[in-house]
Amino acid sequence: MANIAIQRIKREFKEVIKSDEAQKCAINVELVGDDYRELRGEIAGPPDTPYEGATFQLEIKVPETYPFNPPKVKFVTKIWHPNISSVTGAICLDILKDQWAAAMTLRTVLLSLQALLAAAEPDDPQDAVVAKQFKENHSLFLQTAQYWSHVHAGVPKGNSEFAKKVRCLQDMGVGEHQALVALSSCNWDVDRAIEQLFS
Amino acid sequence: MTVVVLEEDSTITMATARAPTASDSTHSDNSSSNPSGGGAEGGGDDVPDNSNFECNICLDTAKDAVISMCGHLFCWPCLHQWLETRPNHQTCPVCKAAISRDKVIPLYGRGSGNQQDPRDKLPPRPSGQRTEPEPQGGFMPGLGLGEAGGFQFHFGIGAFPFGIFTTFNNWGGAAAVPPAPGTQQYQEERFLSQVLMAMGLLFLFWLIFV
Ligand SMILES: [Zn+2]
Ligand SMILES: [Zn+2]
Repeated sequence: MANIAIQRIKREFKEVIKSDEAQKCAINVELVGDDYRELRGEIAGPPDTPYEGATFQLEIKVPETYPFNPPKVKFVTKIWHPNISSVTGAICLDILKDQWAAAMTLRTVLLSLQALLAAAEPDDPQDAVVAKQFKENHSLFLQTAQYWSHVHAGVPKGNSEFAKKVRCLQDMGVGEHQALVALSSCNWDVDRAIEQLFS
Repeated sequence: MTVVVLEEDSTITMATARAPTASDSTHSDNSSSNPSGGGAEGGGDDVPDNSNFECNICLDTAKDAVISMCGHLFCWPCLHQWLETRPNHQTCPVCKAAISRDKVIPLYGRGSGNQQDPRDKLPPRPSGQRTEPEPQGGFMPGLGLGEAGGFQFHFGIGAFPFGIFTTFNNWGGAAAVPPAPGTQQYQEERFLSQVLMAMGLLFLFWLIFV
C-alpha cells in the first residue's frame, strides 16, 4: 500500500478515536488485521429516527490509491433504509462515489453516513423496495426500520405485532431474516409474503 | 508520474513498527469507548501543533507547498496527483471550488530546514509568476545614444519624433525588458533604432534648412 495511504489512515484512525463523537460513542473505528487496509467502523443511530439506540457495523476497505479515491464502505449490520441495500449493505452516497474529495477523512465519512440515516434520499435509492415504502407508506417504513434496528442492531424493544408475523413464517420453516425481508417488502401482509416466499 | 512512492523498505518498517499499537487499540476498542489506546500512542509522533500548515491531502506538514485561489494549502505532489485522478472535474479537495494547475500559487519560505532542492522531485511545481515593474525614466533603454543629444533632439522638435520613438520601442521590443546584448534581437533593435535616428535627423535638417 502506498505510503501516503497508510500514513493518512493512521492519522485518521487517531482522529476518530480522539474525536468528541467517539467520546459520546456516536462513531468508532477499529482495525481489522494490522495493515490498515481494512477497518471496522461503527456508527450509532441518530436520535429521533427509527435507528435511535442502534449500533451499525461498517466494513471499510482502504484502496491502494487512498485518499485520491474514496474508501469502499458497506453496512455489515442489516438495515432498512432507502439508500442502503437491505440485502448486501451497499450504500448509495455521493461522497463515496463521484463527490469524494481527498480532504475527507474516516471521521467525515462516518458522520456523513450517520447524517444519511437521519436524512434519506428516496429519489436516489439503493434499495427500490424500501424507497417505495418510504414514499408511499411512510409510517409503515418507520415501523419497519425500527423493527430491523431491534432485530439486527441491538435496540431492546420492537413491534410485537411484527414479531408474531415473523414467528408465523418461521413456523413454516422460513429462516428469521428471510421472513423479515419478505414481510418488510410486502408491507407486512403475511399472505403476500408467503406467496413471494413459496412461488 | 509516481508521486509519493517511497522505498518499499520504509513502508514495511513503518507498518510493522505500528503493528503492536494497532492491536492494542483494537483491544481497547472492543471494551466500548476506552480511549487509552489512542492516548498512549498520541504522545509518540505528535509533533507540536502546526496543523495550520498541514497539507489537506496527506495531513502532513506541506512540502513544496502550493495554495489554491480558495486559500487551501497542499503539497504540490499531493495536489498534482489529485488533479491527475480526475482531470475532467478538477475541484478543491477541501471546498470543491474550481481549481487548476495554473491557478495555484507556490509558497516559498526561507527553506532553512529543507536541504533538498524541491525541483529535484517530480512533478515540477508550477513556478511563481512575476510581472516586471514599469521601466523608470528613460524611454530608450540600452540604445547607446549620446545622452545629451538625445534629449536635445526630443525637446527641440516637440511631440512628433517623441511619438515615433515610443511607438518604435513598443513595436520592436514587445516586452518591456531590453534584450540582452549580443543576441539577435539586440542587434536588430540597435540597427532599427539607428535607422530611425537617421530619419529623425533628416527631419531636423529639413525643418532648419527648407
Ligand atoms: Zn501533502
Ligand atoms: Zn478550497
